Amino acid sequence: MNHQSMLGVIDATTYIEPLQPLTMHRSVAAVPFAGRYRLIDFVLSSMVNSGIESVAIFPKYQYRSLMDHLGSGKNWDLNRKRDGLFFFPSPDLSIPNPHVGAFAHFEQHIDYFLRSRQKYAVICNSYTVCNIDYEAVLERHMANQCDITEVRHQGRSLEMFVLETSLLLDLIANHRRTGYHSIVDVVRDHRHSLKICDYEHNGYAAVIDSIENYFCHSMELLHQDVWRQLFVKSRPIYTKVKDEPPTKYTGKAVVKNSMIANGCIIEGHVENSIIFRSVKIGKGAVIKNSIIMQKSQIGEHCQLHCVIVDKDAKVENGVSLRGTEQQPFVVRKGTVQGELINR
Amino acid sequence: MAKKKCIAMLLAGGQGSRLYSLTTNIAKPAVPFGGKYRIIDFTLSNCTNSGIDTVGVLTQYQPLLLHSYIGIGSAWDLDRRNGGVTVLPPYSASSEMKWYEGTANAIYQNINYIEQYDPDYVLVLSGDHIYKMDYGKLLDYHMMKNADVTISVIEVPWSEASRFGIMNTNEQMEITEFEEKPEHPKNNLASMGIYIFNWPLLKEYLQIDNANPHSSHDFGKDVIPLLLRNKKRLVAYLFKGYWKDVGTVKSLWEANMDLLDEANELDLFDHSWRIYSVNPNQPPQYISDEAVVVHSLVNEGCVVEGKVEHSVLFQGVHIQKGAIVKDCVIMPDAVIGEGVYIERAIVPPNLEIPPHLVVCPDDLLVTKEWLQTKNEKG
Repeated sequence: MNHQSMLGVIDATTYIEPLQPLTMHRSVAAVPFAGRYRLIDFVLSSMVNSGIESVAIFPKYQYRSLMDHLGSGKNWDLNRKRDGLFFFPSPDLSIPNPHVGAFAHFEQHIDYFLRSRQKYAVICNSYTVCNIDYEAVLERHMANQCDITEVRHQGRSLEMFVLETSLLLDLIANHRRTGYHSIVDVVRDHRHSLKICDYEHNGYAAVIDSIENYFCHSMELLHQDVWRQLFVKSRPIYTKVKDEPPTKYTGKAVVKNSMIANGCIIEGHVENSIIFRSVKIGKGAVIKNSIIMQKSQIGEHCQLHCVIVDKDAKVENGVSLRGTEQQPFVVRKGTVQGELINR
Repeated sequence: MAKKKCIAMLLAGGQGSRLYSLTTNIAKPAVPFGGKYRIIDFTLSNCTNSGIDTVGVLTQYQPLLLHSYIGIGSAWDLDRRNGGVTVLPPYSASSEMKWYEGTANAIYQNINYIEQYDPDYVLVLSGDHIYKMDYGKLLDYHMMKNADVTISVIEVPWSEASRFGIMNTNEQMEITEFEEKPEHPKNNLASMGIYIFNWPLLKEYLQIDNANPHSSHDFGKDVIPLLLRNKKRLVAYLFKGYWKDVGTVKSLWEANMDLLDEANELDLFDHSWRIYSVNPNQPPQYISDEAVVVHSLVNEGCVVEGKVEHSVLFQGVHIQKGAIVKDCVIMPDAVIGEGVYIERAIVPPNLEIPPHLVVCPDDLLVTKEWLQTKNEKG
């Protein structure tokens, strides 16, 4: 085994209030994104594509859908006899976690870190959308003899950190004494002697932490230069496969500037929108600047403008829904949206 | 190995020479179909959906891609601890090298594989047809009829009956006679190449057939006629639904076009009978501002910037600006250049059609060589 190799640690404990109602029934990590993915797919696939063979996921709230999505890790080639994918749910929901990489969570599963032979660790949040090569980050980290490297993008932290596993173990073991509760606390503090470095990620990156920026970053995907940076043939983003047939367009379909996943039946008009797997768009429906998640059905002659339709929802025939880019109208998961009463 | 009631033997060694350049490097069952699938996906999915969890896949011609595609069968949920999918290429034994010399010979050479499972019934399938069928119902029928052999048949138009192997039956659907491509057909029930045999009987007849130096070791030509001569109980099972032999370029193109027909019986969107395949894992398709896509099936990873009408696009296809694609089947990762006009064509995988070309091949299939001569002329 390569001793320069890395452990992947994904902190999926974060609860992000401004992402409601998308996170009503699922953790942030499992929020659907880009037509067929969940937010965690981007970080997880980047890890796998960077040669990381051991990934630990620390979930906390509402992680049923996350577990269901990841399964044995097979779709990421992480169903390994040695290493692979590990789940470490927090046994203690009362631990506060204001920042990514809370040492108290890691401490509860310290055995994982003690048993791992990888010399380095990458700690990430679960809601950063990017396609990044962690090997390049590690190379820079080693060349500059850094203690902790933080990945940043255009002046903003992507909440990704590279450090030696032994240092991580130290930080976890001493967190009560030092008062550093998370990796972020360490990086932000200047009273220690650790060498903290920045690594600028040049490709596309988006941190999804509110409905507004969920919507705006989704719409960004329709720019060719953005999806070219995110969907690179040699570094694919993996996800749970669904065995859907190709998407069917009928004679009346009109589709402009949209991203459409498999298994859909498109009979209406779709413009500037993102359509997830197995969605049905009825005849005469007009969908503009909207996001329709998997298995949702949009009835005939509906008018949707700046709307997010969550998974398994149904919009009945003839219904008009309108949101704004700042405040998209959200149809909640599994609900039926009829005519609005107060219009 | 635990005993199995019924196992399937899937004949996938066919060369498919009438598919020309599509099968130069791959076996016919591996030919892409329907925007996402390979032909063999239909038979393998039928097996798994019918509850048949033990499938021997007999390969011979150009097996490399087929073997890697099938793998351990996980795409069809056939990666099983007991049974599952087993790829069975020809092998050399201590006495001789043994190529599969015919469909019956291929099964004969794998008697040991079958015996491991001590089955009561063996289902013999072919890997080059497009259809959805519940083999469980076929097996129930076989048992109910108390048959030695049940052959699945489909009604074909009388005018076409002379192209098929025709089963002449009595009112009880007992087969009285088998005629291969009869000039004057007496019936219009064509064999679909799907057989259920009682295993002890099949084993006996495979051994008899193998010992006969004059036999061509083929089920249709040798084994079935011999069983009939010996007055065994052969019964026909009438299948109703979509079934197509995609052995020629024309029939392959037609079968793809059939998928675009609203009234088509082969519903790929039916979740209760999914067709499984190895998923390509590409991003969603992107349809640009200038694009028009109607009456079509488009798979993930496609980028459409031109006009697509009544066509099937496989994963990773790029239709560039101003291109017009009509009645076409565009196989994985092919590129249709700017301003190309292409109609009634099959474009093989990875082929790039250079910009502003007009492509309407007489025989439907676009090839590298064809493009070269076109370039030299133009």
